[in-house]
Amino acid sequence: MAEQQKTKTTATKSTKTAGKVRPIVKKMYLRAQEAAAEGRPIAYGMVASQYEEILRAMDITPIWTENYAALTAAKQVAEPYITKAEAEGFSNVLCKYAMVGIGFDAIRAETGKIPEGAPDGGMAQPTMLLGSSAVCDPRFKWYQTLGRYMDTPIHCIDVVYPNSNHFTLEMRDYYVKYQTEQFKELVNFLEKTTGTKMDWERLDHIMDIADETIQVWWDAYQLRKATPCPMPSQDHFSCMVPAYYLLGEQEALDFYRELHDELKERVDNKVGAVENEKYRLLWGGGLPPWHTLSIFNYFESLGAVFTIETSYHPPEPLEPMGKDVHPLKRLSSRVVDRAMKAQARAKEGCGDSRVQQILDLLKEYNNVGMMMHQARSCRAMSLGQIHFKNMVQEHIKVPTMFMESDIVDVRDYSEAQTKMQVDAFVDAVESYAQSLN
Amino acid sequence: MVTSENTKMNGLERAKQLSKNRGLRAKELRSQGRKIIGYLCSYAPLEFFTALDLVPHRIMGSVGEPIIKADAYLEPIACPFVRSCLDKALKDDYDFLDGVVFPHSCDNVQHLSSIWNYYLKPELYYFLNVPHMTEPSSFEFFKSELTAFKKYLEDFAGKELTDQALLEAIKLHNKNRALLRELNALRKQDTPLISGAELLQTMVATMVLPADEETGLIESVIEEVKNRPPKDSDEDRPRIMIYGCEIDSPEFMQMVEDSGASVVMDDLCTGTRGYWEGVDETGDPVEAIANRYLDKLRCPRTYRVSPGTHEADIANRFEYLKEYAEEFDVNGAILYIIRYCDTQEFDAPDVRDYLQSIGLPVLHIEDDYTLAGIEGLRTRVQAFVEMIV
Ligand code: SF4
Ligand code: SF4
Repeated sequence: MAEQQKTKTTATKSTKTAGKVRPIVKKMYLRAQEAAAEGRPIAYGMVASQYEEILRAMDITPIWTENYAALTAAKQVAEPYITKAEAEGFSNVLCKYAMVGIGFDAIRAETGKIPEGAPDGGMAQPTMLLGSSAVCDPRFKWYQTLGRYMDTPIHCIDVVYPNSNHFTLEMRDYYVKYQTEQFKELVNFLEKTTGTKMDWERLDHIMDIADETIQVWWDAYQLRKATPCPMPSQDHFSCMVPAYYLLGEQEALDFYRELHDELKERVDNKVGAVENEKYRLLWGGGLPPWHTLSIFNYFESLGAVFTIETSYHPPEPLEPMGKDVHPLKRLSSRVVDRAMKAQARAKEGCGDSRVQQILDLLKEYNNVGMMMHQARSCRAMSLGQIHFKNMVQEHIKVPTMFMESDIVDVRDYSEAQTKMQVDAFVDAVESYAQSLN
Repeated sequence: MVTSENTKMNGLERAKQLSKNRGLRAKELRSQGRKIIGYLCSYAPLEFFTALDLVPHRIMGSVGEPIIKADAYLEPIACPFVRSCLDKALKDDYDFLDGVVFPHSCDNVQHLSSIWNYYLKPELYYFLNVPHMTEPSSFEFFKSELTAFKKYLEDFAGKELTDQALLEAIKLHNKNRALLRELNALRKQDTPLISGAELLQTMVATMVLPADEETGLIESVIEEVKNRPPKDSDEDRPRIMIYGCEIDSPEFMQMVEDSGASVVMDDLCTGTRGYWEGVDETGDPVEAIANRYLDKLRCPRTYRVSPGTHEADIANRFEYLKEYAEEFDVNGAILYIIRYCDTQEFDAPDVRDYLQSIGLPVLHIEDDYTLAGIEGLRTRVQAFVEMIV
């Protein structure tokens, strides 16, 4: 399977810092390959499972399998993996990240080696699988099913969000307690599997770096409120990589400092992502179409810039906790308190934290249009979009476009149709913008 | 029009009537002042409702009915069963519900839940967080979550839910579950006494009745099927087990049976999953409820800790299917998987391989719940049945 990169599918980056992400990604996979060669522990992991710092503190090299699937999509080499997973009996409506991952491991199990032509040298053989229930169901079902191809120790954790409509402050304690216990059980598993003890002080220190990273990242993105907007969404879908995949590493912190400086300079000099910024848009939902990020270039050619996005949005920094708090409790409180903070804001506003985020971003970033990506295979991030749009419309009549395709599967995408839709959408945005003046 | 006459009717005919007109009894009870609480999937703790004199009513969809209203609220990539439920609600088919409870069974239900609440504005709405993991801490958490829910329900019902009342409700539901197992066991013999379609109708009927009325209905069905004249021998018909989630109308079972097979066992949310295991009647009742729903209920949405190797994991997850197959002398299995039901879709290849490894032929169907393409399915099922014969 040769890398068959026919047309350019990636988007042109605007900032210099975003251009540094691709080598970071390459290094990520290389690191895992080196760890495999040296017999060090390697974990398959799911993004945003909140255990990133734990792995780092225990010198476990993570492979973020969703990221790998996105990489195969961007390189337009995902199809053979999907086809393999389908041949195994998995439905083609399943999450295509999972389908790529399953196909990859099925081929490896069959041939005894990394599939030929796999981008960035492929995913090294993991020594453990760490699933989670954060965000969606496929994230623990996928690894469970990998048992078909490898007898690798597996551990899955719950990540619970206080999303009950009757959530009260009293309930916070048992949510934090459960989350802490889940992390504790994970650490026990990791200690047993690797034979290494957790160094709690080190974890604490890594979390300090992580907190600072999030803060700098958050601050950097505040700069995108400027007109013209100094950084578009296509850069974001690269720039989120260090925060999600290298969280707790000095390299990630340095990356966002650099990004911050670059954006600051751009804002000071009024350098925009688009030359003549006409329309400011919100990426209001859904994961990106990794197979065709070049669609952003088309928006740019029409003078439209995506200024901010709800997907992979930097988490709002929280007040630092006291130094006497156990790091696992610190981690758990972070999960629960972030959600509670968002809910508190929603209570003051529209009542739904996800819609409130959209409303806030539309306003704060001065956007006049919103696009949502209905990725056919990702229910977690695509369901609810119609409802969110309906709710948003009750507050502001902002034009909205639903792009229909997939996160990975280019077979679900029609370029001609999408461009026609974009044209019509931009027309609607134009009228809307005029009506505001 | 509902009259107390037709509520007295019993046995299979009554089951059939209720499975078709599911709001029949609920509306009648409501007019008498009872509160009807709708719930989705198998994770709502029915015992709580019963103990507080609230009537649990399982929300189901409508096979064969086109989606008209739900499109404007829920994406087409949502589980079609969930879409059908919402569509019915938007058409006012569930206007007799006083409240709805959505346990966090899966991504689809989670999304449906806030949509339902927003547009249908039920008097009572509760989203119950059910953990996906089964570590000791998961049970502890679920127990706390159930305790918070219990308190909420008490406020709604305006009375306290005592341990004693809860225990009585547990016993009543356990009794009904035992009766359903007894009824199900009548499929063990060479010529099953009750068909798959009839049993499904009975199941659906039980899910739209208050627990105390369920008892009488099941007893009367048992009585009736035991005493009806024996059918011609079914000995030559392949004995099929159906695996899946929500099958809530008899057409599919009927089609399989019309194709020359007997449906003798199932692993469905609308089948054995609801009654195979009861709640422990000793100890703390809330804890016992947490254990029953999180541990004993067999649904792919719940993650089971792997005992080590893949082989051991598969045995841990699916050995009960082997027990079913042996006990009910099953010759083949049909997996009826609802498209977009992620957790079932992920498990399907493992279930297929496992059942084949114990010597059962398997037909793996992925369908959209509505059975719009039932003729195509019929051809596949017929070919499968012929192959087994
Ligand atoms: S279903 Fe969506 S959120 Fe879940 S793993 Fe797949 S892409 Fe990620
Ligand atoms: S059928 Fe599957 S996806 Fe649909 S509600 Fe049930 S468990 Fe969820």
